[in-house]
Amino acid sequence: MFAEKEFIELSRKFVCVRLESFESEETQKMVRKLTGGSFANTAFCILAPDGETTLTRTGRGPHMVFRVDGKAIPGSEEAKQSNLVVYEKLEEIAAKYPAKKGDSVNILQDFDSFKQSLNIASSDQRLLVFSVSDSAHLTGLKSTLTDVASDPEVIGRYHFDIAGASDSSWASVIEGVSEKTGIFIIQSGEFGQEGELLTRLELKSNKQAIITALSAANERFAASEQRKEYKKHLMKGRQEGITYEDNMPYGEDRDGDGVIDKKPSRSPRR
Amino acid sequence: MKPLVSEVVISSMMKTILILAITLVGVFPAMAKGPSIADIGASSQQIGASGVMWYTTWQTALAEAKRSNRPIFFMSAAAQCSGISGVF
Repeated sequence: MFAEKEFIELSRKFVCVRLESFESEETQKMVRKLTGGSFANTAFCILAPDGETTLTRTGRGPHMVFRVDGKAIPGSEEAKQSNLVVYEKLEEIAAKYPAKKGDSVNILQDFDSFKQSLNIASSDQRLLVFSVSDSAHLTGLKSTLTDVASDPEVIGRYHFDIAGASDSSWASVIEGVSEKTGIFIIQSGEFGQEGELLTRLELKSNKQAIITALSAANERFAASEQRKEYKKHLMKGRQEGITYEDNMPYGEDRDGDGVIDKKPSRSPRR
Repeated sequence: MKPLVSEVVISSMMKTILILAITLVGVFPAMAKGPSIADIGASSQQIGASGVMWYTTWQTALAEAKRSNRPIFFMSAAAQCSGISGVF
C-alpha cells in the first residue's frame, strides 16, 4: 500500500511518522498509550495535529484501523480495492485539517541514532544523508538541510540524519570515509549494518549544490540497486548469520501488564 | 414433551445468530491483519523515486504537525525480522 502512487500523494496531507518499535522506551510508552497499555511490535493510528487526540482506533495495519479487509495479496486487484476504501477514509480525515498557508518548509527529519538511520535507509532502499558538524556550522547546516529536504525534488527520496553524541564511531562501518565532518551521502548495505560513502560535501555547501549531488548519487543508486524480496532477504540473512540488536528487548506485551511476554508467539514483522 | 413450532423457530434463529457471531469474531481479525510473509514480495515502487516522507522521531513529527496543522499518520514497526535487519 505504501508504494502505491495514490497513497504517496495522499500521505502529503498527513505528517507520517514511523517509529522503530524496539529503539527506545519512549517509543514503547507511546505505543502503550495508544493501545490502552499493551504493546505490539506493529501499531498504526491517526492522530490530530496536537498529537494527543486520537482520530481512529489503533490496529496492526491501516486496514485494521478502518476495519477493512487487508488480507489480500499485495498488488492484486482485491488489494487495490481494499486500499481504495482506506484512502477514502484518510481523505475524509485530511479534509478536516486544511494545511496552514504560507511557510512550506518542513521541520527536518532526524533519527535517534546513526545505527537506526543506516538500518532504515537499507530497509527503505533510499540513500542516507548523514551530516557531522562542528558547533560553529551546526545552525547554518540545519537551516540549509531543512530547505533541501523540503524541496519537491527531494521529498520522500532520501533519509536525513544529523550526528548525535552517541554516533562517534559511525565511520567505522562506512567504506570510503576519510573526513571527520561534512555532509555524507551514504548507500546503506543490504542488511543496514554497514555502508559505502558515495559523495561528501562541505558543511557550507548551498542548497542547490546539495540537491545536484543528491540527484546524481540517486540516479546511480537507482540504476544499480534491485528491490529486495522480503522472504528471500530473510532466508539470506539466516544463511549469513545476520543478527541485529535493538535497544529494547524483543517481544510483545499483549496482556498489557507492563512486562514483555515471556514467549512471543510471533516474530517481528510488518 | 414436544417443543412448540415457535420454540423450534427461535432455537434455529439463535443457532444462526451464534454461528454468524462466531464467524465474525474469528474471521474478521484475521482478515484485517494483512498478508502473510510468503505473500510479501518486492515493493512495486521504483528505487530512487519519491515515496512517503517519513518522520522518524516523535519530537520532529509532532513539531511538524503543529506547524502545518496536518493530522498524524502514526506507525510503529520493527526494521528487522527475527533479528535480520534491513527490512520492514
